[in-house]
Amino acid sequence: MDVPDCIGKLIKAMMEVDRAGASVLMDHALAEGMSPELFMSDVLDPALLAVGKSWGEQKVSLAQAFVGAKIAEDVLLRCLPKGEVPPTALRKGIVVIGNIEDDFHSLGRRMIIPFLQASNWEVHDLGNDVTAETFVDKALQVGASIVAASAMMQTTALNIRKLRDLIDGRGLARRLKLAVGGAVFNWRPELVAEVGGDGTAGNAGAVDALLSRLLFQAGEGKSP
Amino acid sequence: MNSLERVMNSIKGLPVDRVPVFAVLCAYGAKLTNCDLHALFSDADAYVAGQVAVQDAFGFDAVIGTFDFSALAEAFGGEVAWHADQCPTMKRPAAQDALSALRLALPDPRTTKRLPTILAALRHLVEIYGGEVPVFAVIPGPGILPTMMMGLEAWMDAVLFDQETALRVLERSGRFFVSWAKALLGTGITGLVVAEGMATENVLPRSIFAEFFLPHIRAMFELVDGPMIFHHSGGSINHIADLLPGLHGLLGVVVGSKDDLTEARRLIGPDLLLAGNLDNLGFPTATAGQIREGSLQCLRIAAQGGHFILSHSAADIPLATPPANLLAMIEASAGYARGDGPAR
Repeated sequence: MDVPDCIGKLIKAMMEVDRAGASVLMDHALAEGMSPELFMSDVLDPALLAVGKSWGEQKVSLAQAFVGAKIAEDVLLRCLPKGEVPPTALRKGIVVIGNIEDDFHSLGRRMIIPFLQASNWEVHDLGNDVTAETFVDKALQVGASIVAASAMMQTTALNIRKLRDLIDGRGLARRLKLAVGGAVFNWRPELVAEVGGDGTAGNAGAVDALLSRLLFQAGEGKSP
Repeated sequence: MNSLERVMNSIKGLPVDRVPVFAVLCAYGAKLTNCDLHALFSDADAYVAGQVAVQDAFGFDAVIGTFDFSALAEAFGGEVAWHADQCPTMKRPAAQDALSALRLALPDPRTTKRLPTILAALRHLVEIYGGEVPVFAVIPGPGILPTMMMGLEAWMDAVLFDQETALRVLERSGRFFVSWAKALLGTGITGLVVAEGMATENVLPRSIFAEFFLPHIRAMFELVDGPMIFHHSGGSINHIADLLPGLHGLLGVVVGSKDDLTEARRLIGPDLLLAGNLDNLGFPTATAGQIREGSLQCLRIAAQGGHFILSHSAADIPLATPPANLLAMIEASAGYARGDGPAR
């Protein structure tokens, strides 16, 4: 099974919400000699990018994107045992992620984590209802250059402003960038500026590029 | 012709003086009565006062009960997030997964949390408007109801990866769906609006809806045995609209703002009521002229064959919407009847 064939079949499994089929596909690929690292970088990554792009264009349903993320989790679990972070040489950067204070809509956040891990980001997930202080303290503790705050609704998205103010108030604006995301930012892109976000991504596949850009702006990483 | 006659004639495909116009303005009632939203959604009298104010101000052709599903999440044991400028939402579900959801006690419509308040408000609205303006209650569809017990993520997980447990959850949540629907209908309302989130293209592909959810929805509609309007709940539903005709008690379908009205009519057939489909999120920033033109466009596309109600997509119209934008919908319907084409 060559790589393009494998990518096509993995995308098909994601679109047909066939988690078991994706597992069988990976078994075959590994049995035929493909390394887990190659499967992650050359098969999973482009497949996730394709599904993420379609999701952003509203060409796939939440269920298909959800299964895509689960398949990514399955692959990562086999290639990268749980809790293990990417080797430093491969790691792009460290990001702290969570739903902002009062926001409990975790699905979108949880779906992009496998995308980020597959792209070699070290992700620290703080869960739902995260205060600005917790975001910043955790970022400083783990040495993150980016905090990523998610919100589904406009009312909770406005709480991200507190995070912006805290980052600025502590004089961290140059080295700690604020990524924002969630359904409401897709409907109202002007909200990104309103809450003081440094950027957003319309779909899971675009998050890697966003974070790479923000990492560069924070004085780390390569020019994207 | 009063609103009730106008709506009933539209359902039956009989002539009307103008096309009926619906708008969901639950929270807007609080704005008109200077009531905070916590009180509005917790006190039957406050909710009724809000809807009376809405009706006095705009004269829409239906009065709508609370489009607030947080009350159901709360009744199952979940937490509610209260907001200053929008309807309350579920903060945290009672169960973390499908197996835990199976252990939740089913709410009693007469006694649990805010459920009796919702029923009391509807009874009062029926007393006020019965015979003149139809009163509808909104209920989450049988497929999406389990999210009130465990949230969307856990429910999606069960539906996609553990259908045996998901079916057990549907059997259990279905018992509540029927009892709640019957309690709502027991207040004397005109009918139910069933907002089925699992029907939207943005959530599920057609195949899963058709194979997993439709049989359950069909069974629930038969057990409820009352007049029901199927609501898109926020996304697009044209991809499954052809599957809906024949549901027991189905009066019509409300489609999303991105659904093509011509296609929707073709899919549901000529005899079911079709309602839609202005984008509710655009209401605060649009001008009254834009709302009027958008309304006329809907009317030109969909009103000529009758069986049509001019409405908007999703749930509550945002509070920031100027009153003139709401009146523009009714003006468009009146204008369409006068000169832009027959209302039939």
